[in-house]
Amino acid sequence: MDTGHGMELINFIDITPTIAILLILVGFIGGMVSGFIGSGGAFVLTPAMMALGAPGIVAVASNICHKFPKALVGAVKRNKYGQVDVKLGLVLGLFAEAGVLFGKHVMTHIKHSFGAVGTDLYVSGVFVLTLAIVGGFVFKDYRKLKALDDAGQGEETTPITRVARWVQSVKIPGTMIYSRGAQAEISVLFLIPIGFATGFLASAIAVGGFIGVPAMIYFLGLPAIMATATELVIAFVMGLGGTLFYGLEGAVDIRLAVLILLGSLFGVQLGAIGTTYVKDSQVKFTMAVIMLTVLFSRFFYIPGYLGHLGMIEPLSASTTRILKWVGDGVLALALIVGAYTVLSALFKGMKAHKEKLAVLTRGEAAD
Amino acid sequence: MAVNQNTWVRTLGWGVVTTGLYVFLFLYSEVFERLAHTTLDTCLVHNDSDPAYHHKTTPEQCAAEKGLFIEGTWWYVFAPIAVAFALSYTHGIFTGLFWDVVGLKARK
Repeated sequence: MDTGHGMELINFIDITPTIAILLILVGFIGGMVSGFIGSGGAFVLTPAMMALGAPGIVAVASNICHKFPKALVGAVKRNKYGQVDVKLGLVLGLFAEAGVLFGKHVMTHIKHSFGAVGTDLYVSGVFVLTLAIVGGFVFKDYRKLKALDDAGQGEETTPITRVARWVQSVKIPGTMIYSRGAQAEISVLFLIPIGFATGFLASAIAVGGFIGVPAMIYFLGLPAIMATATELVIAFVMGLGGTLFYGLEGAVDIRLAVLILLGSLFGVQLGAIGTTYVKDSQVKFTMAVIMLTVLFSRFFYIPGYLGHLGMIEPLSASTTRILKWVGDGVLALALIVGAYTVLSALFKGMKAHKEKLAVLTRGEAAD
Repeated sequence: MAVNQNTWVRTLGWGVVTTGLYVFLFLYSEVFERLAHTTLDTCLVHNDSDPAYHHKTTPEQCAAEKGLFIEGTWWYVFAPIAVAFALSYTHGIFTGLFWDVVGLKARK
């Protein structure tokens, strides 16, 4: 909010015991979803922090801050399994840093011109648009995988796309680097827009992986497992930079970040354990459902912001309150659905696995 | 599956360290909040005893609002980064051990 004499007030929320418990719970579910779908579950955290009253810029900044050390731990772990293309991750991370810096300028420009509510509107708008697009693609992917599953060819790996083959065939002298993940040489010129866009998105909604991961798979030809692992390197590099840039703007609320982290670290490991018991198509389905639901939580807030900024006729207090209530209800629903899907997959899977093991053991004993 | 004593001790040990870090952060949460707001020039105004930090300020503007002008110290930005790193590290080890103790494991 702009105050007298052009000064800006960016408030951190009061952390009451209820808010703290909600943050931990939301972090837990966000982490679980993150671990389950491989990366990017933090997308539920930005709207949740905003629903609890944090301005858009603080929610994004604190979300980025809670993510980067976790990304480092994840990257180191998955590097041990040989899933990380470190060089590609660092190069993309470097260009992502430029994207984050540019995006942060956009955000602070909006903050200076329209105050904290301006950043609320900006974050919400980008959020709704991104999740609608990505959620739609994920749903399409799910249907394809499901069809393969039904035809009994579920575990088949998909061949690299035609675009990726073309990208790998373009040789521009002096710009080529070898990507271990793609097992081919790729021109840095292709990496600039991918990295930049990833960083820009991260600066706006705290999740850049929505661009980074599919781009590495479809445009560069990395296998999905290496793309999500390499994304962790990018997330670390741009998360560290993003925390610095936003921290210098006084927008990183470490209390928010660590409470989310507290729940998320428990959740992420549970989610990761869960994936080992389910089919790929189930993971995609969960991801699509959560994305397409959660976007509406922000959608219902937008009219209120527009009214507040005078861009539309201001809504009555009761209408704004009802819309906020609906938005929060949708968010709660998305979180409950997410938690239920992951936990039920985990427990059902574990039970089935135990029964299978018991049958095998009995079989061996009979031999 | 029985969990050996060593795992229990390690889980408890990392749990205590992690809890200690959280307690430290929340005991000094006002200090951390102040550090976060004062990476840039800030005007601290007390409204009904609640501190409010205003950014994009000058000493003159701040004086007009009867606030306390605080000159920004950019390297305070490392405070949240250090806390985030330390907590992820200790808490990450603790949660890994925790799920082992509880008995939830990935399918082999």
